[in-house]
Amino acid sequence: MSATAKLQYFVRTALGSLVRAPFVHLIAIASLALALVGYGSARIAQARLVGMMKSFGGQAELVVYLHDGQPPDKLDALAQALAERAHGEATLVSPRTALQRLAAELDEPALLGADLGDNPLPWSVELKLPVGERDPSRLKGLADQVRALPFVRGVDFGQEAVEALAQIEQALRLAGLFAFALVFLTAVIVVSATLQLAIFARKDEIEIQKLVGATDLFVRLPFLIEGMLQGAIASVLALGALKLAGRALAQGALRNVGLLIAEPGFVVDWRRLALECLGIGLALGLVGSFIAVRRFLKV
Amino acid sequence: MFHVTKAYPGDPPVLVDINLDIEKGEFVFLTGRSGAGKSTLLKLMFLAERPTRGQVLIAGRNIARLRDSGVPYLRRNIGVVFQDFKLLPNRTVAENVGFTLDVIGTPRAEVREKSVKMLRRVGLEHKADVSPMRLSGGEQQRVSLARALVNDPALLLADEPTGNLDPALTLEIMDLLFDVNARGTTVVVATHDATLIERYQKRTLRLEHGSMVADERGHKAARLMSQSSPLA
Repeated sequence: MSATAKLQYFVRTALGSLVRAPFVHLIAIASLALALVGYGSARIAQARLVGMMKSFGGQAELVVYLHDGQPPDKLDALAQALAERAHGEATLVSPRTALQRLAAELDEPALLGADLGDNPLPWSVELKLPVGERDPSRLKGLADQVRALPFVRGVDFGQEAVEALAQIEQALRLAGLFAFALVFLTAVIVVSATLQLAIFARKDEIEIQKLVGATDLFVRLPFLIEGMLQGAIASVLALGALKLAGRALAQGALRNVGLLIAEPGFVVDWRRLALECLGIGLALGLVGSFIAVRRFLKV
Repeated sequence: MFHVTKAYPGDPPVLVDINLDIEKGEFVFLTGRSGAGKSTLLKLMFLAERPTRGQVLIAGRNIARLRDSGVPYLRRNIGVVFQDFKLLPNRTVAENVGFTLDVIGTPRAEVREKSVKMLRRVGLEHKADVSPMRLSGGEQQRVSLARALVNDPALLLADEPTGNLDPALTLEIMDLLFDVNARGTTVVVATHDATLIERYQKRTLRLEHGSMVADERGHKAARLMSQSSPLA
């Protein structure tokens, strides 16, 4: 029998089994789909939280205060030089603008007309950094570099806040990883237990196969294909359920339940999520079947 | 078999120091009371069990030392028939027979052809496409026999093949077994049916409490059975 014919035989056997005992397989598919819905929801929530963290980080800019006495025609060039060094965008802020902002922040319009003598606020450059440059160690390195420049009086980047945000982001990632491992392990146990029901119904068939000289691989392959088929079907169902839930949230029907996910501007990367769910579904089906069929091979 | 002992932890040995030599092409009855060790002895021959001590040689090869991965290839040369037939109810008769051929990678068209041919040999060609559950006990055993023989094994092991059959069907199955033997296959039949042994007068091995207590041929075998009152 050629390899193609063998594959056909295994696929035919696997499909035949799905058709012959649909109820047991439906239970297996349902438990796989539930695990994947759990994974997908956690993944969307995690992406949303990380996105929020990043957007908080985006508000923490690097503010570079310049020494007095810089020639006014050179200020733009200085701001540009800083932007290039930081790989970000620079905005030059004049002492006048800074004072206006201060007055607005303190809600003291009188400050603008007050007799302060010369405006004590210096020229400054606000640097907005790209996402990849926002982690605390890079920010600190950049601040140290900029601080060493001769025309720089001081640098402010809200170090403590950035570090705290980074720690929260890391904790979120670790929690996500831990939750994923936990869900995967639980799903493997549940799925293999459910698949055992399906395989138990065919234990006589396995026994006879073994008695007439089937290798373990020959017995196993249809079950592994079956598990993968179940995983694939379950991932499609799970994605459908997640899409429907996402739509309900977007339409506001469940806005109170899912504010985090439904927030405008947050877009789920469905293509990536579909690939992840499919991959995990196949892996769960495969591992679950592998474990489930093992105990029936001893004939 | 050389000095074969089989024991399970915590229990007395099922087989004790069995020495046995079966020639190629022989027909052998294996007899003894229930629990004497007949089935275990057969299981050792197709490696459903491994001996605790001793050697089991088939075609000069010590199968007691065979790796697990080699067991399927050994079994492809051994046909096994059971008292309870072990047929799959959700497959047709032909599919049950073809199961053996699927396992060794026979092309699909050939599986059907060979299965039907084997069913013709056991007189069930016309039942190829029905469920085995719709057949009588004798017919089911013939399907089981066809499945065991379709791969043309060198050795056929039958564990109480007529245990569930009435006398007429029993003779039918025995005729088939002798036919198989006449074509060169070595046949070992485990049975506690004394009338069969008396009728056919073939070599008979008798087990008692896991030990081989008699190895008789022809008339002596028949006499052995008539003297052993609990079985006769």
